Amino acid sequence: MTDSHLAQSARSARLQQLTQLATNQSTILVGVMILLTIVFSSLEPKFLSALTANNILTDWGSVALIAVGQTFVIISGGIDLSVGATIGLSGVVSAWTMANVLGVDQTIKGGEASGALLIGTLVSVAVGVLVGLTNAFLINRFKIVPFIATLSTMGAALGFSVIISKGAPIGSASNFALISAIDPKVNPFSWAVIVVIIVVVIVGLFLHKSRFGLYTYAIGSNSFAARAAGINVERHLTKVYVLSGALAGLAGMYVYLRLGAGSPSSGTGRELDAIAAVVIGGASLMGGVGRMLGTVLGALILFTVQSGLIMIGVAPDWKKVVVAVLIAAAVAVQTLQSKNRRTA
Amino acid sequence: MDVPVIELTGIVKSFGPVDVLKGVDLKAFAGKVTALVGDNGAGKSTLVKGLAGVQPYDGGTVKYDGQEVHLHTPREASALGIEVVYQDLALAENLDIVQNMFLGREETRFGTMDEGTMERQASETLQGLSVRTVKSVRQKVSSLSGGQRQTVAIARSVLKNAKVVILDEPTAALGVAQTEQVLNLVRRLADSGVAVIIISHNLVDVFKVADYIAVLYLGTMVASVATADTNSDDVVGYITGSKTYEGKNV
Repeated sequence: MTDSHLAQSARSARLQQLTQLATNQSTILVGVMILLTIVFSSLEPKFLSALTANNILTDWGSVALIAVGQTFVIISGGIDLSVGATIGLSGVVSAWTMANVLGVDQTIKGGEASGALLIGTLVSVAVGVLVGLTNAFLINRFKIVPFIATLSTMGAALGFSVIISKGAPIGSASNFALISAIDPKVNPFSWAVIVVIIVVVIVGLFLHKSRFGLYTYAIGSNSFAARAAGINVERHLTKVYVLSGALAGLAGMYVYLRLGAGSPSSGTGRELDAIAAVVIGGASLMGGVGRMLGTVLGALILFTVQSGLIMIGVAPDWKKVVVAVLIAAAVAVQTLQSKNRRTA
Repeated sequence: MDVPVIELTGIVKSFGPVDVLKGVDLKAFAGKVTALVGDNGAGKSTLVKGLAGVQPYDGGTVKYDGQEVHLHTPREASALGIEVVYQDLALAENLDIVQNMFLGREETRFGTMDEGTMERQASETLQGLSVRTVKSVRQKVSSLSGGQRQTVAIARSVLKNAKVVILDEPTAALGVAQTEQVLNLVRRLADSGVAVIIISHNLVDVFKVADYIAVLYLGTMVASVATADTNSDDVVGYITGSKTYEGKNV
């Protein structure tokens, strides 16, 4: 069958989409990254070093994981405030399991340590999945808006992590075999960061290339249309919140590796970093819009600003102000773009 | 007369204490346009949602090509070739035309989405309906006009060889020229052998395009006539309840 005129113009439109994308949010974000790097390194030459890059990437890792999950949630038209608290809870439960069930202590070595970490990771992810299921249950069964549903699981997760840990971190930072995954092996990348990058790429492809990703956009864009098209909206949202929870669980293990301990407060406030990354990355809190590359760059910008400000000697509190400006700028750019599109 | 593609008998539906449909009968024939008219709250949308499988009926029988069927989910209705184009246009604005037309039934190849095949089928369907107003099937729906969106919604409904297409107020939000376009599209749809049921408040449109007119009044089918055998005044009378239809229902 010959290609029709419409299919041909479809191809040219796709090309146009590509070029649009290039002049879009992601390009702007890459530009911002380059600009930040130039500014910081001209003020402090040491900024351009593998050590700085490693610091930024290590900070980026935990937030990238939850921001990637948050991207799905926000595209679906929801929000997940529980991911920060889930980092703390999953880290604590995982550390508790490793210490009290597996009997991990300071003397653990090599293969044994790897085994313990694997089990710890599974426990951590399982805790995240449980939080995600709870969120989905509240949202689907009781029709509680995601903001409130995840706000309550956030509180509960935080409470449980303090109860289980009795308020103090579980585990000890001094065991090198246990936490070496976070050391810069392939400078500036540590194994942990490499794992994060692999996870981000896989989940990103899942968002943009799979039916699951398409349905996430469809639900966030018009959930009635999705339902009318035969999509099981409740089941899909359950999967989205479970994915977000599971990634928060993985982030919990990542933070455990950084601290060498499961600490109840280790994820506090991280959900806001994740939401900031997603919004800076070009997603709309109305749902239906967002790209994984944007989120990843958004998170990277957050921590580049943070590290850079510290290195050039600005008080860390200014970071919050800069991040606030970035969020406002990102939303302003978005609004301008959609206005242009409407008048075009 | 032929066997109707769709034959509803004694359809009942209530929401709590409110009886919205009180034993409704309706027939739709292949190649014909049946207009479903009635005032607000007469039960038109409820009747349609049951056929779509979105909101199953409480009682009554649904026959499809003479066979009794049960419609509980949109997929069941869709599998029989029953498609609904909703008033609020069930389209996802942030997705493009192809993605909307194939939503929920994407073509896949080796586990990934077969974009090429979907693009080709989408443009063939649009051309089959003589639609020339859209520039590209990869345009986002948010960039389309109201008439173009209606066109996409209708094209979506016939993509998979629909036997019955139900249109809920397809011209409600459109200007004069666009209304004309959509009505022509509706006529072509019926001429291609599809049984079309169209809900409308606009009697001018109804008389222009419909072969049969079915009037709902407070959950009851009060008249079901061939368009040629009635007139606008009578139909208004049936809709408002000021006239009673004495003839035999189609």
